[in-house]
Amino acid sequence: MPLINLPAFAGELLADFERLKTLRVDTPVIQPAEPFLDMAGEDLRRRIFLTESETGESLCLRPEFTIPVCLRHIETATGTPQRYAYLGEVFRQRRDGSNEFYQAGIEDLGDLDTAGADARAIGDAMLVLSNRLPGRRLRVTVGDQSVFEAVIAACGLPAGWQKRLIHAFGDQEHLQRLLAKLADPKSPGVFGPEVERLASMGILDNEERLVAEIAGTMEATGYSTNASRSPGDIARRLKEKMELATTRLDKAALAIMREFLALDLPLGESAAALHQFADKSGLKIDGALALFDARVAALARVGADAGLIRYRAAFGRPLDYYTGLVFEIGLEGAPAVLAGGGRFDRLLTLLGAREHIPAVGFSLWLDRIERAVAAAGGAK
Amino acid sequence: MTITIALPSKGRMKDDASAIFERAGMKIVAVGNDRSYRGRIEGWDDVEVAFLSASEISREVGCGAVDFGVTGEDLVREGLADADGRVEFAARLGFGHAEVVVAVPEIWYDVDTMADLGDVAADFRARHGRRLAIATKYWRLTQQFFSGSHGIQLYRIVESLGATEGAPASGSADIVVDITSTGSTLRANHLKILSDGVILRSEACLVRARKTAHEGNPTINRIIAAVRAAI
Repeated sequence: MPLINLPAFAGELLADFERLKTLRVDTPVIQPAEPFLDMAGEDLRRRIFLTESETGESLCLRPEFTIPVCLRHIETATGTPQRYAYLGEVFRQRRDGSNEFYQAGIEDLGDLDTAGADARAIGDAMLVLSNRLPGRRLRVTVGDQSVFEAVIAACGLPAGWQKRLIHAFGDQEHLQRLLAKLADPKSPGVFGPEVERLASMGILDNEERLVAEIAGTMEATGYSTNASRSPGDIARRLKEKMELATTRLDKAALAIMREFLALDLPLGESAAALHQFADKSGLKIDGALALFDARVAALARVGADAGLIRYRAAFGRPLDYYTGLVFEIGLEGAPAVLAGGGRFDRLLTLLGAREHIPAVGFSLWLDRIERAVAAAGGAK
Repeated sequence: MTITIALPSKGRMKDDASAIFERAGMKIVAVGNDRSYRGRIEGWDDVEVAFLSASEISREVGCGAVDFGVTGEDLVREGLADADGRVEFAARLGFGHAEVVVAVPEIWYDVDTMADLGDVAADFRARHGRRLAIATKYWRLTQQFFSGSHGIQLYRIVESLGATEGAPASGSADIVVDITSTGSTLRANHLKILSDGVILRSEACLVRARKTAHEGNPTINRIIAAVRAAI
């Protein structure tokens, strides 16, 4: 069925996708809601259109394509590597703009050459945007969660703090709050009276007795039958929490982290700056930097103009399936994000894939691109 | 114009609300018989009273179908998006006190703050194959508190319309967000409130719909002033 509200450039965009040797796929508009809520969290509930089937299954109008494309890949048991392209309508409750709009994009599943696939995703997104907006200067921002993770690990923080900080990556405010707390010598954790009782009994340091004590109490209160967290889980986390409470970040380490998070520079200078940062601060982050360097080299090979790309160390997305590269593309001098992408190596396993399938992709906001095209036409 | 005040149709809330209005010099009389759901106020000919259920009151004030309502702040903040933009909390009435709280199993010795809960939630899927499940009837308040105030995204809400405190023991959820006045039901079910887990300190409020028609209407201000003086 030909759709009359498609963006005028849809045909040319699909032709670009075909030249990039992708496989065009479509997914049903009505999707099970569970995977979206499970992956993105309950916050999404307010922004999607939910309905119910007659049998009570929670359904939603497709709010994006990545999860449906990945689910389809898993269901059809297609082999990897495989690059998919899509173009279709998505539905979200938005404060600005229409609630139904078109998105298109590419999802690259199963390519084991991480740096190469990362670079190709950025390059492809830049290419299709340049083709729609010839003569306009793109503004590309990249971030890399794996570099942040390496910096934190190299700072020698206990696992609990590393997890907290990694989890907050991309949420500037939350991350800064955590760092301030980590540096504040006067903010110990809160421990309930039960923990003090266990400490006075002297079993807090004895994992075996602690687990037995917790199991006994669970049994006595009738909680054990359906308990999700086992006595072992609770004892292990309690130990982690005591580490969290006693660990403080010294001024030097805090300064190093803040210096890292403030990095914001042209991609061409960023590799050298990161190496310099690592040398100066004495952090061992060679593995993550090797991948970063390889990606910069691969970007040159795919012909992406590095002069348009900036690296911002604090740029990330606070969702647990993003693992490495994230990027965003707009036009210079305009705030609108026209394309967003990143690496989500954890998503396919979370969605039920049996083997680990690395993945990277991007999606294009066709309504915003349409407006940018119209604005450019009007300016001529 | 006639001003409509919606009051709770039964129970303690109805009696307490009527008592305050009486002290404010606004004695409520039922129209027709005692069980009627319409009322008027002696000496205030331009005011009428509608007796509604508490949750309906927040909705009716929210959409401006009535001018005032007496209901719990929790119901207003849960029921309306952008509550402060749509209604004004004109007076806090000093009864119906209760807190909306985050409570976890007592045996979770390692969890006493929202930050602890965030740690547990972040790991939950990897350890248990599903997200942390919260039983509640307060979808909106839970989302605002978890995502907005504490940066916790990874959890699922399991709707619970009654006996919410039993959900962790029955296995239908891991923790609860519930309303409590004394905490005794939580304690009886071996749940504890997190030290920073109070989402809302609620009480009955006189709530006014923000309507342009109210501007310059002397009755509106008289009602608010009278009720405030009676608290």
